[in-house]
Amino acid sequence: MTAPAMAPPPGGSVGTGPMRPSGDIAMLGWSLDAGPWPAIWRRFRRNRGAMAGLVVIVAIAAVSLGAPLIAPYPPNAILDMVALKSQAPSLAHPFGTDPASRDVLSRVLFGGRVSLAIAVLAMLTATTVGTMYGAISGYTGGTLDSVLMRITDACLSIPRILLLLTICALWGRASLGSLVLILGLTSWFGVSRLVRGEIMGIRTREWVMAARALGATDARILFRHLLPNIASPIIVATALGIGNVVLLEAGLSFLGVGVQPPFASWGNIMQDGADQVRALWWLSVFPGLAIVSAVIAINAVGDGLREAADPRQ
Amino acid sequence: MTAPQPVPAPNPLLSIRDLRTVFPTGAGVARAVDGLTLGVEPGETLGIVGESGSGKSVTALSILRLIRPPGRIEAGSSITFGGTDLATCDAESLRAIRGRRIGMVFQEPMTALNPVFTVGSQIAEVVRVHERTTRQAAWGRAVAMLEAVRIPASAERAHQYPHELSGGTRQRVMLAMALVMHPALLIADEPTTALDVTVQAQILALLAELQQSLGMAVLLITHDLAIIAAVASRVVVMYGGQAVEEAPVTELFAAAHHPYTEGLLRAVPRPRLPNSPAARLAEIPGSVPPATAWPAGCRFHDRCAFAWDRCRHEMPPLYAISATHASRCHLAAEPARRTAPAPTAGTPS
Amino acid sequence: MDASERPLVSVRDLHVRFPLSRGMFGATRGWVRAVDGVSFTVPRGETLALVGESGCGKTTAARALLRLIPATSGTVSFDGTDVLALRPEPLRRLRRRMQLVFQDPYSSLNPRRTVGDAIREGLLVHQLAAGSEADDRVRQALGEVGLRPEFALRYPYELSGGQRQRVGIARALAVGPEFVVCDEPVSALDVSVQAQIINLLQDLQRDHALTYLYIAHDLAIVAHVATRVAVMYFGRIVELGPAAAVFQHPLMPYTRALLAAVLSPDPAARRSHAVLPGESPSPATPMAGCPFHPRCPDPRKDAACTVTVPPLEEKSPGHFAACIKEPVVETTLPFGP
Repeated sequence: MTAPAMAPPPGGSVGTGPMRPSGDIAMLGWSLDAGPWPAIWRRFRRNRGAMAGLVVIVAIAAVSLGAPLIAPYPPNAILDMVALKSQAPSLAHPFGTDPASRDVLSRVLFGGRVSLAIAVLAMLTATTVGTMYGAISGYTGGTLDSVLMRITDACLSIPRILLLLTICALWGRASLGSLVLILGLTSWFGVSRLVRGEIMGIRTREWVMAARALGATDARILFRHLLPNIASPIIVATALGIGNVVLLEAGLSFLGVGVQPPFASWGNIMQDGADQVRALWWLSVFPGLAIVSAVIAINAVGDGLREAADPRQ
Repeated sequence: MTAPQPVPAPNPLLSIRDLRTVFPTGAGVARAVDGLTLGVEPGETLGIVGESGSGKSVTALSILRLIRPPGRIEAGSSITFGGTDLATCDAESLRAIRGRRIGMVFQEPMTALNPVFTVGSQIAEVVRVHERTTRQAAWGRAVAMLEAVRIPASAERAHQYPHELSGGTRQRVMLAMALVMHPALLIADEPTTALDVTVQAQILALLAELQQSLGMAVLLITHDLAIIAAVASRVVVMYGGQAVEEAPVTELFAAAHHPYTEGLLRAVPRPRLPNSPAARLAEIPGSVPPATAWPAGCRFHDRCAFAWDRCRHEMPPLYAISATHASRCHLAAEPARRTAPAPTAGTPS
Repeated sequence: MDASERPLVSVRDLHVRFPLSRGMFGATRGWVRAVDGVSFTVPRGETLALVGESGCGKTTAARALLRLIPATSGTVSFDGTDVLALRPEPLRRLRRRMQLVFQDPYSSLNPRRTVGDAIREGLLVHQLAAGSEADDRVRQALGEVGLRPEFALRYPYELSGGQRQRVGIARALAVGPEFVVCDEPVSALDVSVQAQIINLLQDLQRDHALTYLYIAHDLAIVAHVATRVAVMYFGRIVELGPAAAVFQHPLMPYTRALLAAVLSPDPAARRSHAVLPGESPSPATPMAGCPFHPRCPDPRKDAACTVTVPPLEEKSPGHFAACIKEPVVETTLPFGP
């Protein structure tokens, strides 16, 4: 019980009840002043898998960002085309060297920056587009909603990798920026369906009608009332989407239509050894491990967030 | 008069002694029912009246041990029914009593009925759980019971699904399900709260009629004093997880002793002519405290116009006002204090 | 008509229909006549109670008159302005003058916004105040509903039901409306809190010269607050008149049954009255003639009742009823003198 509740001021006000949440709400743990996030963080912290994922992904992000300081060589430095070509891992080159005598450890570190940056930026693009699209569809409803959702259904029914290969092939040599756009603009369908469903679920709540009755505009209702209420599922979907885009980008780069030289990415490092996978195993294993650990960690964080955001599931 | 003593129940069908049901929550342990003692005698209608958070519904669930973990009934509680302690008995004996010796109806009939089975089969299922009988015989009992709860064309209605029925009919089906084994006790938790007033009148009349014909006792749980006045023979008023007053119904309404009961009775809008003077309703200031933080001493003291030091420090026992009337208020020991402050609405200090 | 004697709100022949549709592309199978030709006026400073059982259309009618849901036809005049014909921007501006208090204080507050945000919202969207002036207005509004200023920083889940309802009232009043629709404002609250909220609504009406449309099913409360009463059944108004007349001399068999079903909180007044059979029909039910005829206990009920839709007629000065039989005037307990 809080002190002010015990001692009402002389104004003679009536709200003397102690300010604690009522029973079932308290059981859900929504009991801090700053909205649901502190409670989500508290539950998230109790989830060991999610916390391990968070540690791993923070570590991967830190060494990738710190690549210029950590990496022993520049990513594209050709060390010695004769003596240091396709060397197996050694103390000097822990991840070995590639057929162009570049240090694979340095390339994996720098490649992480590219791969992760592309994934994050692409997913932010996808989330923005998907949220707007889904929000308009769900908020407006009716015929517009039917039309918009049939369009996303159609897009979702095309296999992603085929769609991406086609676009990349048509695009030619995609710059990093275009790659972000291509990946982002083909990753929002799921988000838009999610947002549309969530908006449909809450748009008939009475507090939405209350805002309208007060004279709030549609834009205000959408941005100030509806979207903040569905922030947690959107964030969870974005986190899970990032892992997916890491995989897609790696796949595209491995097939040679994704990140183009001179930039290293986890996918195109593997591509450099693609024709001799058995002999040059280190070119697949180390970037592969980076991809797998990053994706597993991101998904663990995303799943942890989802469970923490909705303890009833 | 000054010696605290609970009112003894002479020949109870159900006897609850010192029931404590607690729920661990993020904000601490909610002591929803905290030392409740009461008895239900055969054939009587005992009304439990209280506001949300008073512990009245948790009491109903505790009797049939329907409390979901992590909620639990604390050791030391006893709920004696026909020689069995429902608080501690094994699952098998409990199952033999649930639905057969004690029936129960809930507030929201839609959520208590399974949507994928016909109402007839759900009632017949109750019979077959408790008795070795043929499918046809159980179905016949179900149809007869639907007729007993005054559902017209019961043989046809038995084939309908819950969503095909109106709210009032669904509540009749719930009654049929609860009563098909002719239990000695029916627990009705807010049975008419979700219904329209005209339908409420029908269900209350039906309940009284069935009680007569089946000779059962009814434990009626409600927030509505008007329903208590209409059907109960004895009343327990709950506040803060405890019984604060217990009396025969006429005595409670004519001469309530506990300030909370008095406040509730004054707060009820009485049927009156519109626009007559004294239109202002009497208020009880503040709101019910949460079960995780009951106030020390008397749980009503911070909303009570009479409260003095003793109320803040010493929890009042159930004082006997007469052989049948008890009140958990220190005014029973110090009646002179009642005249001191005027019981008006306002913030207690 | 002079503006001062013109009713603040005047509703004429309001219809609200919802399509009954099935399937993905929503072929319309029929219409639910939720509100079926409702007319009433609310004079300034008065409280008109719209009374009826669940599904009778009372909430739908009120929301349609505020244009929170679309009306199918009819006119709503607010202080001379045709509400149903307004363009979006003038309608948005008009909303400052007509407000709404909801039944459920749990679902009518945005869980992610503080009490202060909720009350400030109307001030911001109508540019009535900003910055510290808005804070002052929020404090003032909280004070008027009996809440301390620090409530502005709390979230709805931290409040009790009664406190939330006070916030809902403060939110509606902060913009300075003239007309407030109170949609069952106390039916979700505990008895001891009900009394607090009813008294508060009456104090506010007196202090701010408010006009109320009070929607309720609980006639004991309506008797406390209403100056006039309109009884709804099956989407129509079946009786309308001054509160005293409707409660004392109800003309319609349905109104009498409603009044008789009100329980008195007095065990000495236990009555064994005739219980009205059946339940209110859903508005999707097809119905010919008087919608009440299947349940009507009046012995004069005949074939004409099953054919003729009874019009709402003035049976005595200011007292209207929709019954083709001559009204029987009788005093009804428990609302007798």
